Order: sequence, then C-alpha cells, then structure tokens
Amino acid sequence: MNSARAAAIVLGKEIRAEMRTRELLQTTVVFTLIVVTLFNFAFEPTPDEARRFGAGLIWITLLFAGSLMLNPSFVREQANDTIYALRMSPASAFAIVFGKTLANLIFLGITELILLPVFSLLYNVPVLPVLGRLAFILFLGTFGLVMVGTVFSAVAAQARMRELLLPLLLLPVLIPLMFAAVEVTAGLLAESPALDRTWVSVLAAFDVIFFTASWLLCDYLLEE
Amino acid sequence: MKRYALVSLAMAGLLFFAGYAALFIAPDESTMHAIQRIFYFHASSGWAAMEASMIVFVANILFLAKRDLKWDWLGISAAEVSVAFWSVVLITGPIWAHPVWGVWWTWDARLTLSLVIWLLYVAYLILRTLVNDPERRAVVSAIFGVFVFLGVPLDYLSIRIWRTQHPQPVVFGSANSGLDPTMAKVFFFCSGVMTVLMILLIRQRYRLERLRHEAETLSLAADERAEGAG
Amino acid sequence: MQNFGSLFTAYLIVWAIFILYDFSIARRMSQAEKDVAQLKQKFPQT
Repeated sequence: MNSARAAAIVLGKEIRAEMRTRELLQTTVVFTLIVVTLFNFAFEPTPDEARRFGAGLIWITLLFAGSLMLNPSFVREQANDTIYALRMSPASAFAIVFGKTLANLIFLGITELILLPVFSLLYNVPVLPVLGRLAFILFLGTFGLVMVGTVFSAVAAQARMRELLLPLLLLPVLIPLMFAAVEVTAGLLAESPALDRTWVSVLAAFDVIFFTASWLLCDYLLEE
Repeated sequence: MKRYALVSLAMAGLLFFAGYAALFIAPDESTMHAIQRIFYFHASSGWAAMEASMIVFVANILFLAKRDLKWDWLGISAAEVSVAFWSVVLITGPIWAHPVWGVWWTWDARLTLSLVIWLLYVAYLILRTLVNDPERRAVVSAIFGVFVFLGVPLDYLSIRIWRTQHPQPVVFGSANSGLDPTMAKVFFFCSGVMTVLMILLIRQRYRLERLRHEAETLSLAADERAEGAG
Repeated sequence: MQNFGSLFTAYLIVWAIFILYDFSIARRMSQAEKDVAQLKQKFPQT
C-alpha cells in the first residue's frame, strides 16, 4: 500500500468517525465563538482597534482552539487501541500522521469558516474584499499549526498531563508562525489592504521546514 | 563527591577571574560607565547558552540515529545547563536596562529571542518529567528537541523582521558597535570562561544522569523481581 | 562610578545562579547515590 493511499484511508476514517458524533467540531466552534465574545469584554476595541488587533484575536483563538482540539484526536486512538491496529498495517508512520493532520486541517478549516464571518460581523471589520488572500493565509497558517500540533499530540499522548502539556509544547514552537500569520492578516485587514510578501515567505518556510521534520521523524514517533 | 567539589571549586575560580576582568581590567565605557560592564556577563552567557542549545540538538539527533541512551543523558544535561545560561541572560538584561532606560523590560530583538528560546527549553525540561518510561522519554524528548532547534532560526528571523518593521530604540546596541580592543579582549576572555563553565556544568549534570539511570534500572528490576515473587 | 550598585547586584546574581545550580546537581547526585546503594543492598546482584 503506498503512502498516499494510506494517508487518504486514515483521513477518510477520521472524517467518518467525526461525522458520526460531530463532538469535536461543535465543541471547537463554540469555543472559538466564546473567545471572540470574551475579547470584546476584555478590550472593548474601537473599529480602528478592531482592525489592528483583530488579526491577533483570530490567530490566538485558532491557536488555543487547535491546542484543545488536537488532544482528543490522538487520545481517541489510544482508547480503542486503534494505534496498534494502524501500526500493524503496511501504512508508514508518516501516512498515519499526515492523514490525521489533513483531518485536523479540515476540522479547523470548518471552524475558521464560521469564525471569520462572526468576527467580521461582531467587530465591523470587512473581510470580503480580501477574502481570497485571507483564505490563503489561513490555509498556510493552519497547515503549520496542525502539522506540528498533530506530531506533538502524538508526543503528549505518551506523557502524563497531556491536556496541559500539548499547549505547553506547541505554543512556543509556533511563535514564528504566529508572528507571520498575525502580521500578514493585520496587513490584509487594514484600511488599505496589502499582502506582505516577507511574512508570507516566513509562513511558507515554517510549513516546509516542519513538514519535512515531521516526515523524517515520524517513524520514531509511533514506534512501540 | 570529592571530585565533584573540586570541579565546583574550579568553576568558582573561573567565574572569579571572569569577574575580575570584567570589573577591573575592562576600560570604562563613555556613555553608560559602570553598568555597561554587565555586557561581559550578559553577552558571554548568551554565547554559552547558544552553544549548549546546539549541543542539545546534536545529542538529540545522535540519539535517534544510534539509540544509545548516553546521548539522551547528554541531551538533558545540555538542556538544563542551557536554561541556566539563558536565565542569566534574561536576568542581567533587565538589570542593565533599568538604570539606562528606566524600564525593566524592553522587547528588544535579542532579549525577546532569549525569552522565546528560554521558554522552548523549559518546555523540553517539563516534557521530560512527564514521561515515565526511560526509552520513550528519550525518544519523545529527542523529537521535541529537534523541532525546538529547527524553530530557533525561524524565531531569530521573525523577530528581526518584526523589529525592522516596528523599530524600537536599541538598548544593548552600543556594546556591539566598534568595540575598543581591550574591551574586545575581555569579552573574548569572558566568552571563553563561560564556555568552559558550560562544559564543566554539563559534565557534572551528565554524571548525575548516569547515576539516576542506574538507580532507575535497579528500581525497575526490583519491581519486576517483586512482581515475580508475589 | 555610577550605578555600581546595579553592576554588583548583577554580578552577585550571576554567581548565585551558577552556585545554586551546582548545589542542585550535587544534592540530586547524593540522593541518587543513596538510592543506588539502598537498591543494591535490598536486591543484591547475582
């Protein structure tokens, strides 16, 4: 079985499992809505401030939502010992991890589909004019987030206190991604939107570097 | 333990000489005067911290390649020592900044980078305390360690670009721009001392880890023996 | 010399950090040595 097919199978399994209960999705989406609301009570931004800090709000929300969402993803496997079953299969470790990564990407993507219009509405920040570029940035940033996040959730699954451990490990490592994502998004949400190429390169570099690292190290991650 | 005490004394001696050089041999700096001498500890610790962080990376890679636990011991030793040195950087920074600029902290590029790297290696240390099985602990630490180190150049780049786009008055810059030759010599001397100090501390910590491993192995064997008998 | 107090404080703190760290290693090492001796006594290696 080649890796791409194996990853696709893992991806399909993840999505089917989630669609049965939808518990991960609904919890994550509601969590982001709560954070977006809390932001207003914490800061009461003026429309101008909302433009400037909105980017930060979006990405912090995604980072926290992602950290909380990624754990159940792996712990679910452990509960049913499906990890062992997966390892028994001819699929390479990376195929399994990448399949899960893509699933997490889709779940967070769905969350973003809801987060973005709600944010735009509540804070009067127009996103339609820059929607295409924004979607591109969201994709790049979310991909980096779930790639590193899925690998670290496999790490945390082997440790105690994993709910707290995952954000502890993930958030510092994601700092460059956050820098880049927030700066580009802020540039896009500004009065005169502009796409900052430097930061886009940083984002892309982050994705490439950590994708490669995950690919090279996956075998050690899932061994028994 | 006697050998340990001797090494500790040697390290104290090194610190004493570095201090003497920084405090008395280095010439006085024209704008900041006495407080500028913190630079010799601050920047040289930074170098040693960075070197220790690199040793962690190399140890992690070698462990994954060779699976000899000795590399794991080196990894944790270098990581702990690097946190110690980054802590020195983070504490001397504000002590230097406060008299000069009136603020304790400034999101200056170097200080910010030091804080980020400090957080990363503290996370590494915490991860280790949370995994029970020695082999698994070594593997996941190595993987996390590799990711951490790969992030460091990206952190450096991001913070540089961020600071270029949103500039701030540079607190520690004057020390870098055109170092007087005596100052340069004292700086290199202090960097050398800090590097040696770093290596000695890693060796001490490594010996501790080796002992701990012995205790852990014996304890696990004892547990097995107890289970077998019961 | 201006700010000599701060400079001295910094130097002391640098010393303190390394001394404390060194003591921490020493303390843990004596604890580990005790553990090993204890375990060897209870379960003598054949």
